[in-house]
Amino acid sequence: MAYEVTMPRLGWTMEEGVFGEWLKQDGDEVKAGDLLFTVEGDKATQEVEVFESGILRLPQGAPAAGDVIPVGALLAYILQAGESMPAGGSQSPQSGGREGQASTASPSVTTEPAFQRPSATQTVAADGRGNPTISPRARRVAGELGVDWTQLTGSGRTGRIVERDVRAAAETMVEQVGVEMSPVARRMAAEAGISLEELAATKPGGRIQREDVEAAIAARRQPVLADETAVQVLPHTRIRQITAQRMSESAHTTAPVTLTTEADATELVALREQLKSSYARRGLAVPSYNDIYIKLAAAALQEHPALNSSWGDEGLILHGKIHIGFAVETERGLLAPVLRDVPTKSLRVIAAESASLIEGAQQERLGHEAMQGGTFTITNLGMYGIDAFTPIINLPQAAILGIGRIVCKPAVHEGEVVPRQMVALSLTFDHRVVDGAPAARFLNTVREYVAEPILWLTA
Amino acid sequence: MRELTYVEATLEALDSAMARDPSIFVVGEGIGERGGNFNTTVGLYDKYGPERLCDTPISERGFVGMCAGAAMTGTRPVVDFMFLDFILDAFGELVNQIAKMQYMSSGRLKMPILLRGAIGIGHSAATHHSGSYYPIFAHIPGFRVVVPAIPSDAKGLFATALQSDDPVLFLEHKSLLFNRGDVPEGDYAIPFGQARMAREGSDCTVVAIGSMVDKSVAVCDKLAEDGISAEVIDPRTIAPLDMATILESVSKTGRLLIVDETFQPCGVGAEIAAQVIDEGFDDLDAPIRRLNGAHVPTPYSPPLELAIVPETNDIEQSIRNLLAE
Repeated sequence: MAYEVTMPRLGWTMEEGVFGEWLKQDGDEVKAGDLLFTVEGDKATQEVEVFESGILRLPQGAPAAGDVIPVGALLAYILQAGESMPAGGSQSPQSGGREGQASTASPSVTTEPAFQRPSATQTVAADGRGNPTISPRARRVAGELGVDWTQLTGSGRTGRIVERDVRAAAETMVEQVGVEMSPVARRMAAEAGISLEELAATKPGGRIQREDVEAAIAARRQPVLADETAVQVLPHTRIRQITAQRMSESAHTTAPVTLTTEADATELVALREQLKSSYARRGLAVPSYNDIYIKLAAAALQEHPALNSSWGDEGLILHGKIHIGFAVETERGLLAPVLRDVPTKSLRVIAAESASLIEGAQQERLGHEAMQGGTFTITNLGMYGIDAFTPIINLPQAAILGIGRIVCKPAVHEGEVVPRQMVALSLTFDHRVVDGAPAARFLNTVREYVAEPILWLTA
Repeated sequence: MRELTYVEATLEALDSAMARDPSIFVVGEGIGERGGNFNTTVGLYDKYGPERLCDTPISERGFVGMCAGAAMTGTRPVVDFMFLDFILDAFGELVNQIAKMQYMSSGRLKMPILLRGAIGIGHSAATHHSGSYYPIFAHIPGFRVVVPAIPSDAKGLFATALQSDDPVLFLEHKSLLFNRGDVPEGDYAIPFGQARMAREGSDCTVVAIGSMVDKSVAVCDKLAEDGISAEVIDPRTIAPLDMATILESVSKTGRLLIVDETFQPCGVGAEIAAQVIDEGFDDLDAPIRRLNGAHVPTPYSPPLELAIVPETNDIEQSIRNLLAE
């Protein structure tokens, strides 16, 4: 092979050199180690030796004394007997660096094809299960295009199936079945096990799209639904319809956020025990926990009037009175009767009124007005063992307080871990109406009132 | 745009930063009046004086240790190793102190130290002056490892290195130092961890590092005449490594070749290949291939030296083989 003589780098910072003179002539036989030419350095002329034996050939345009030559540029060739100068050697050898020269000086442009594909007779690579081997990408593409690759012959070097084989097979499938399909449709059909013939029959001559496969899948499911005998359809009650309408209206129009906290209810439990024994002895209606929560929530609302408001299209409606609705479960469904002007009423009055409202609700004789005009709602799931939850706001109110169960558990009280009666409180508020901080301040007041009933009993 | 050599480009970034920031100083052998064996500090001594261009005796462990201390006090030392091979004499300071100091001080101390040196095989520099060693440093948590391939990247990455509060290894291949290229005027910085798309293509991805980038681009330009469309990615920094760009390219091409002059075992190519298998397995249409320099000490003899470095014909053959897989 022709050996290239190039301009050497004689110092680390040298970028180009001034050619001195040839010490051998074109056609001379040279031996490795012979001095071949000189280069003018900064201080002295340096003689450069040749590393290869052979015949020196100077191409056309070879450098002459005084020429400035870039490091790495071709200067000459050392040829073996019978060898000729590479094509392109006639070009100016000073036109570029060594890499550039090497490529222009290569014998000829290669005509080798880009891909060397194995012939069909080559052994086909196979995995342990007798399947041909397949590249991960080809396997993925086969899944996407719905191609069964186990029957394919691979064109990879070892017979491996590669992406182009799968794509070619997908093209062939179209021709064989005569069905044109989008890739998505083909994949969905493969996953659902729907044959291409079946699909083609539904749309003769047309391109099968995703919708066509979806229709075919749905058509399959239809009889299964009809055969279903365990299903029973109950007509909606009026209450269920109203509840559904109001709940979805609330869920879709409010910007609900739920805050939860835990309150120490030990003193509240003591209060209730005291009420129970004192009231019962006197034949009075004993206030329920719900009644107590209604009363203390009203006290908290007086402190935080922003929570006792409604969203109005014209502006924020601040209610002058505090009317508290409370959720009652009945056989017909959920009802929320309203206790009016709660701050003006004593706990004893609230107990009597709520007992009558609950009774009315359960006996279906509560008028429409009894459930209208609430400004805030309380819902209690404590009796079902629930702690925190996310109540849905009773429109057009701004907030709803969810009460959890009272449960005795270890808590830190006055620096000691002791058993305490704890209750979870959940406040859902409409962020359109009120921001997080005022809502949190309200819930914190409720928490304090649960922990220290004296605060609101004496207010 | 005006052209500069690779080393002029880094010199411009260094000069500009030193003019602005008096806490930057350079230490090394022959970097003062002489301007550096590779012209890395030419002209700076006259501008900034002997205190900021501090010639040292041959005592790598000593001056690297002192620079670590200086960096902890808030200065920005630039250690110029001339040939990077000599960094090995300071390996203990580097790995046990410089790379770990921020962690050990819970971030109270910074380590803004720039360690630069010429790497790579060429010009019969022989076995003590041809090392690259960047896979070793990329292996250690704490280092940023930068291997620019073209002059404009060298300037922008050098500027980023001078702003980094982490220790940076800035590694300049000897065969690139006097390559010329377009370099924008003025200050600019190229962030670490962003690869450069050196050439776009669709048939295969070639990740090339340092001196292999221009060679690979030249090969791919030639292969285009045969209808082969190869993409060349220059990661620019080994740590952090921009795997997102590599994975995106592999998802397009399905085939990956990593060309790196350094040793193959436990190298950058092994790391890239493993991450592509982790994250892009289903994109692969062929085995991942690596082309590396031979796993041997670097010989002095020019023909032997040529034989151990990946050359354009090796890269071309590797790409053709990959496409035939």
